[in-house]
Amino acid sequence: MSACILRVFLQRAAVMRKAAQQTFSQTRMFPQCVTEINTHSRGINTFTSSLRAEEKVAIHFLNRDGKRISVKASIGDSLLDVVVNHDLDIDGFGACEGTLACSTCHLIFEEAVYKKLGPVSDEEMDMLDLAYGLTDTSRLGCQVCLRKELDGMILRVPDVISDARVDSEKESSTAPPKV
Amino acid sequence: MALQSSILHLARKNLLQESCKQFLLQAHGLHKSTASGSLEIAAHSQADLKEENLVSPAVEGLKETTVKTLQEMPGPSTFSNLVEFFYRDGFSRIHEIQTEHSQKYGKIFKSRFGPQLVVSIADRDLVAHVLRSEGATPQRGNMESWKEYRDMRGRSTGLISAEGDEWLKMRSVLRQLIMRPKDVSAFSPDVNDVVVDLVKRVKTLRSQQDDGQTVLNINDLFFNYAMEGVATILYETRLGCLENEIPKMSQEYIAALHLMFSSFKTTMYAGAIPKWLRPMIPKPWEEFCSSWDGLFKFSQIHVDKKLSDIKKKMNKGEEVKGGLLTHMLVTREMNLEEIYANMTEMLLAGVDTTSFTLSWSTYLLARHPTIQQEIFEEVDRVLGGRAPTGEDVAYLPLIRGLVKETLRLFPVLPGNGRVTQDDLIVGGYFIPKGTQLALCHYSTSMDEENFLRPGEFRPDRWIRKDASDRVDNFGSIPFGYGIRSCIGRRIAELEMHLALTQLLQKFHIEVSSQTTDVHAKTHGLLCPGAPINLRFVDRK
Repeated sequence: MSACILRVFLQRAAVMRKAAQQTFSQTRMFPQCVTEINTHSRGINTFTSSLRAEEKVAIHFLNRDGKRISVKASIGDSLLDVVVNHDLDIDGFGACEGTLACSTCHLIFEEAVYKKLGPVSDEEMDMLDLAYGLTDTSRLGCQVCLRKELDGMILRVPDVISDARVDSEKESSTAPPKV
Repeated sequence: MALQSSILHLARKNLLQESCKQFLLQAHGLHKSTASGSLEIAAHSQADLKEENLVSPAVEGLKETTVKTLQEMPGPSTFSNLVEFFYRDGFSRIHEIQTEHSQKYGKIFKSRFGPQLVVSIADRDLVAHVLRSEGATPQRGNMESWKEYRDMRGRSTGLISAEGDEWLKMRSVLRQLIMRPKDVSAFSPDVNDVVVDLVKRVKTLRSQQDDGQTVLNINDLFFNYAMEGVATILYETRLGCLENEIPKMSQEYIAALHLMFSSFKTTMYAGAIPKWLRPMIPKPWEEFCSSWDGLFKFSQIHVDKKLSDIKKKMNKGEEVKGGLLTHMLVTREMNLEEIYANMTEMLLAGVDTTSFTLSWSTYLLARHPTIQQEIFEEVDRVLGGRAPTGEDVAYLPLIRGLVKETLRLFPVLPGNGRVTQDDLIVGGYFIPKGTQLALCHYSTSMDEENFLRPGEFRPDRWIRKDASDRVDNFGSIPFGYGIRSCIGRRIAELEMHLALTQLLQKFHIEVSSQTTDVHAKTHGLLCPGAPINLRFVDRK
């Protein structure tokens, strides 16, 4: 429930930000800060991605319920962008909107793919330390951007067994994924 | 943050109902969660993982068939708590009492402060358990007195005092601006300018002492540094806190800040004293209001000034360029009152937190010359004499380790609060929605089970051998975790990393003969219990 509200909110926030930035460009005001944010665009900011050539790669998520979700997503987008833009049903994913304050966008990669992902920043490693069900091929989805070489990759969404909420809805989502 | 951090600030809540039914153990609620454990078993299937977690000894009551109620939870009696806190001044020893109580009653226990029931959690895995279960808008504690002041003055709430959707809306705007490490790293040149002034100020202050090397009460200096640093980023302006003559307006603000912190206990009572008692004991509430008046006034002056600058430029048809405040004023994702409130609360939260940590860091370096030398050598190897930038910090793992280790030994927030937003099962107890939890970060970071020889200062315990090397986690989370964690974390880290690096480049830091063992005391935040006097000897 709460995660649903959050997702709606995130989407609305993204739309609002986009609108604000368009206002900027119309009035020819580009505060340094905004430009920087666009440069480091990750997470929810859809402004830059809309300008890119629409080259797509296929990604397959193995969700917690064992179901496979396959999407075509734009190169350059982060995996958090993918989950938000495609409105994928992954409970509680990306709670901090890609600002490296949580590890809810934790994803598990195939080993061969993991090696292609490049270095992990200290800040991401610190947050990975706090991720549940960490593996040697874990990354935060908000920090991984799509490239052509990643086409066809399969990602596993880790379980959230540690959820302490007394909520019967939770039970269904804690079934072990079939990998 | 000083006031809200205290679990005792929350004394006006309704009596919590403890009469909850026995709940059957629901598997989903009771698994132990530990990253270190799960790393070892990462190769196993998820089913194995569940099983291993189930037999973990760290969570009490796991094998029992029923979940216990709050009534069954151990803890000190209301009377002994009253004696401890009001008679034996337990307020200044909250961090120690946390540890004492967890040793006596177990890692989850309940305490009563008047009508307020608090469930304390001093186990790393249970803390993780609670924080990972958070919903969209976690609540830290009862902020009624903060809200009451704001309602009275027609002010908005800010990130600290707001709750629910109102909070999420503001958080969502602000985290996009000041939380991503790369965005924050862009402030390096501004922060470095402040560090230059810090070094200059060290030289001025030490020249005023007979030995020409001692800086008395180092926290005063770092307080001014932190304030200057935060203001540079938030207001895009310099306040002059590190000048020989501090401008009057900044002085007034510092006075308001000091009033806010020094009257911590009274302002805490201000929240705790029922309204009907205020005519009889008016002082705490009056001080509380007048320090807020001072803080808001200061922010408003700076925000308004920036706004009029922007308007002037726009009228002239000039391009408007700027940093954080300019962005907020131009985009208006938050209204002006919300900007005032958030600027006020963020500045308030970003000063003494950073200064205490810098004070402890330099104190620890001075007390451990060998470790200081190791860190200096790393800095020297990586940078030579060059000033660091935010990007350099990735190559200075010991500087990062220094800040982490300082915050483990002296977590500026010894405990953090959460009000449960759902019914939870934690450590085998049923905890109803609306219960005030105290997450005992001081206890967990000093726990032998989490950190080998926890009393030792060892910045290298945070060094990773490689990217897959995991370092202990929920045992020390000084900035919190998740959606309601410290929004100023990356700014604070940048300020501390850059200042410590440059201080080490310039000076050999030693303890003054006037300073012996300095112990921590809680005064809202965990702070040095006595002045720290340090010698800053030029490096050749």
